Amino acid sequence: MTVGATTTAPPATTAGPLPAPASPKRERRGRRSGVDVRFSPYLYIAPFFVLFAVTGLFPLLYTGWVALHDWDQIMGQGEFVGLDNFVAVLTGSAFWRAFTNTVSIFVLSSVPQIAAALLIATALDRNLRAKTLWRMGVLLPYVVAPVAVALIFSNLFADRFGLINALLETVGLEPVRWHSDRFASHVAIATMVNFRWTGYNALILLAAMQAVPRDLYEQAAIDGANAWRQFWAITVPMLRPTIIFVIITSTIGGLQIFDEPRMFDQYGRGGADQQWQTLTIYLYELGWTRSDFGMASAVAWLLFLIIVGFGIVNYLITRRIATAEGKKS
Amino acid sequence: MQSSKHIYYLLASSTALTLALTACGDGDNGASADDGDDTGSGSGRQIELSVATFNEFGYEELLKEYEADNPGIKVTHVKADTADNARAALRNSLGANSGASDIEGMEVDWVVEFKQYPDKFADLADPEVEGRWFDWKTEAVTLEDGKLMGYGTDIGPEAICYRADLFEAAGLPTDREEVAELLEGSWENYFEVGKDFVANSDAAWYDSAGALWQGMINQIDYAYEDADGNIVAASNPEVRAIYDQVLQASVEDELSAGLALWSPDYTASFQKDEFATMLCPGWMLGIIEGNAAGVEGWDVANVFPGGGGVWGGSYLTVPAQGDNIEEATKLAKWLTAPEQQVKAFEAKGTFPSQLEALDSDVLLESTNAFFNDAPTGQIFVDRAEAVKAQPVKGPRYFDINTALQDAITRVDVDQTDDPESSWAKFVSAVEALG
Amino acid sequence: MRRPSWFVYGLLAAVVLGSMFPLWWSFLIASHDATVLSRERFPLIPGGNFLRNAATVIDTVPFWRATMNSIIVSTTVSASVVFFSTLAGYAFAKLRFRFSGPLLVFVIATMAVPTQLGVVPLYQVMAKLGWTGELTAVIVPGLVTAFGVFWMTQYLTQAVPTELIEAARVDGASMIRTFWHVGLPAARPAAWMLGLFTFVATWTNFFWPFIVLGPRNPTLPVALQQLQAAHFVDYSLVLAGAVLATIPLILLFAVAGRQLVSGIMQGAVKQ
Repeated sequence: MTVGATTTAPPATTAGPLPAPASPKRERRGRRSGVDVRFSPYLYIAPFFVLFAVTGLFPLLYTGWVALHDWDQIMGQGEFVGLDNFVAVLTGSAFWRAFTNTVSIFVLSSVPQIAAALLIATALDRNLRAKTLWRMGVLLPYVVAPVAVALIFSNLFADRFGLINALLETVGLEPVRWHSDRFASHVAIATMVNFRWTGYNALILLAAMQAVPRDLYEQAAIDGANAWRQFWAITVPMLRPTIIFVIITSTIGGLQIFDEPRMFDQYGRGGADQQWQTLTIYLYELGWTRSDFGMASAVAWLLFLIIVGFGIVNYLITRRIATAEGKKS
Repeated sequence: MQSSKHIYYLLASSTALTLALTACGDGDNGASADDGDDTGSGSGRQIELSVATFNEFGYEELLKEYEADNPGIKVTHVKADTADNARAALRNSLGANSGASDIEGMEVDWVVEFKQYPDKFADLADPEVEGRWFDWKTEAVTLEDGKLMGYGTDIGPEAICYRADLFEAAGLPTDREEVAELLEGSWENYFEVGKDFVANSDAAWYDSAGALWQGMINQIDYAYEDADGNIVAASNPEVRAIYDQVLQASVEDELSAGLALWSPDYTASFQKDEFATMLCPGWMLGIIEGNAAGVEGWDVANVFPGGGGVWGGSYLTVPAQGDNIEEATKLAKWLTAPEQQVKAFEAKGTFPSQLEALDSDVLLESTNAFFNDAPTGQIFVDRAEAVKAQPVKGPRYFDINTALQDAITRVDVDQTDDPESSWAKFVSAVEALG
Repeated sequence: MRRPSWFVYGLLAAVVLGSMFPLWWSFLIASHDATVLSRERFPLIPGGNFLRNAATVIDTVPFWRATMNSIIVSTTVSASVVFFSTLAGYAFAKLRFRFSGPLLVFVIATMAVPTQLGVVPLYQVMAKLGWTGELTAVIVPGLVTAFGVFWMTQYLTQAVPTELIEAARVDGASMIRTFWHVGLPAARPAAWMLGLFTFVATWTNFFWPFIVLGPRNPTLPVALQQLQAAHFVDYSLVLAGAVLATIPLILLFAVAGRQLVSGIMQGAVKQ
């Protein structure tokens, strides 16, 4: 550590060796080094900020500008139309239908997923033989691309000649109209999402479970609580922050869902009655099929606001739970 | 440890294999013409041309032939899967002003919307090609100032394909001449025969209301947009009339198998006795043969309800952004010459739009073994001559027709709507198009 | 600790089988021909058609090119994410500079910004640069991620003893040399994991490559979707494509699955 550095930088937390007495040669090097010390950190973090500015922030803001214009994909910028695009989007039924679908698919793919992940994590948390193998087995679907997952499941969920309906019929049930029925199509798409992410989330929850102090369980066992009670009284409350983390990350991804519904049929528009058209598919259709970049940008901004809205709600809930926890203990 | 070493070995060797194979196919990497100029080092200037098509144009062998005849020219064939995706890709590259192929295939259903951007395409007008095509084929791509935007490739004259075995079981004639006679006339007649058929069979009369819609709407001029470009889809009584007619036949009279066109169920249905007839443009023969492999009984009747009809058919255009417009035009002209289109027909069954090709013996004498050796060449020549005009379509045709197909699917396939409520949704979808 | 009951093993076995079944099923279908799905009974054993279907897939879509593209994109992006994230993470974790706190908070906040919602202008930028249809359009936006920076910051905070950095500085090493010789080696385990996850995420990414590359110069997922969008959907081919496109990642999983597992678990503990 040189003299130049100690004058500009706050003292380090851990005591380093004492600075050597400054010689003239050292002094010059010290000045150069001062610049080095002062600016290097900014240089190191610069790539992220530059890239984010160019590919993240600028496009997001510019989207707002495009949204205020008539803007054709081929002809480019047209007239300034103010909020017309937003009005057109918000007053049309298509946006709201896509919104409902998105939320519905999101709920169907996060609630059962977390429940299943909890169950799997609990099982993995036991003193298993060949631990790593089981964990890997559960994680396998994560490496299958969503497009491939969607292709496979679209085949399984085919209305007339799909395996799932064939199985349903074998056990004497009515076949489900996976593509016609709005809710059924959401279930099918949510299944694809769940297939890929349940194991992944189970491992996150497993890690959190392993951080729970074992003596809590031992104490509970002495108090006569069975496994089921221990799970509800200890595991779930201790895992709450992790569960909320999982929910938040899946919110950001889930509300932008595109791949699975896009591949659910061969047209990729979300069904003849928009049964499974999500917001991102709607955005794509406006921009790249109908060439209307103005309206597509309006949808992008609305989707952004929705995600921020969901994020804030998540945050508030997290905080309330955190403070409630604090009071309890 | 042993096993993980093994896996490393596998991984390494498969990567090496991938690299090797890619290297072999490297000649057609970097296909876009704008960076291709310096590739032919030493042997003079090499020109790279790219040709973008979709579905089946039947150009594979032809392009090789062209390369062989024109040293110094290298042609890359870029095949998109479907017309829809090809359209989106073309829109993208026109918007970006880069990335389009030197020659771009374009389908009749969306060629009109690209006429809105005449500056994006080279003028292909040339005395040499005048009179090469059916007049109506050329008119659709001719701009008001006489600029020619595309060269016609194929057309989709329609006949009726049918399952002779199902006809027989239901007590209908099976011979293709008799079937043609039976179905000759109006759409009402076609539906009446259908009612007869379904009364005596477990199968439906046709595959999908959506397919029927394509056949019927393609007989109407200015269906969705009037001559001035106003959207009239929702108020045009003709449109509503055939909408009601198709759905009446499909749902009330249960003539439709209720399949969504091109869906997995649709594909799979060809293996079962799901329906007895199909509207059949030339290019459909290949699809039927592929889907129905192993099924016997398919035949083609030289007839089409409501007079002649076309479904599909394409053009080649030359985007103005290319670097080799002249050479590209030359290639497009060659590809769409009658001799070449006949070869494309032999390869993939795409029916030529060139008048001279219709006299070709190869075409006239061609038969199709899968369709009970039907003289398909002669049949489709007759069907093409029955076509008096290609319906005039406006720039929003594609979007509006998509909305209408959705409306029909909701009733025929999904059964989530009745004709009235589905029509209402169509009307608001058209309004949203603006 | 007690070994768990058969019930736990049964449950886990069911989950693992369920995870494998869709892949097995696609191989099953992919090894028959087009008519397999419409038969009265579903197949239970693989047929002999897989290689033929695979060959057809490779013919139908630009498969090798897509594979090569996916390899190029995923490798470049992973390497770059690892390098720049480690650099930034090192700065945030171990160097002292003004505004480092607020800047880190900003980085974390951007994780919540769905940047792909800027697709329209981002696409326009790429069009202006003439990058549509080029791999650069997919690579550049992914060169460094907020998650990567955050992850490396977390790791390096506890993995590199500050004394070590100071010792190097006292010996007169420049900042970048210190990073190179102290920061980077210490970051190695976390960097590997970040690289792995970035690789998988990039390999499986669809939306942006689909928009900006199009069918002409696709990555694997983009090429794969072309199989389904055709008029003549032959499921034995579609699923052969799905299998082919998954094989590279299954191989990766066989080699590095253990690291993926511990990566997820470590990431979670730190959240």
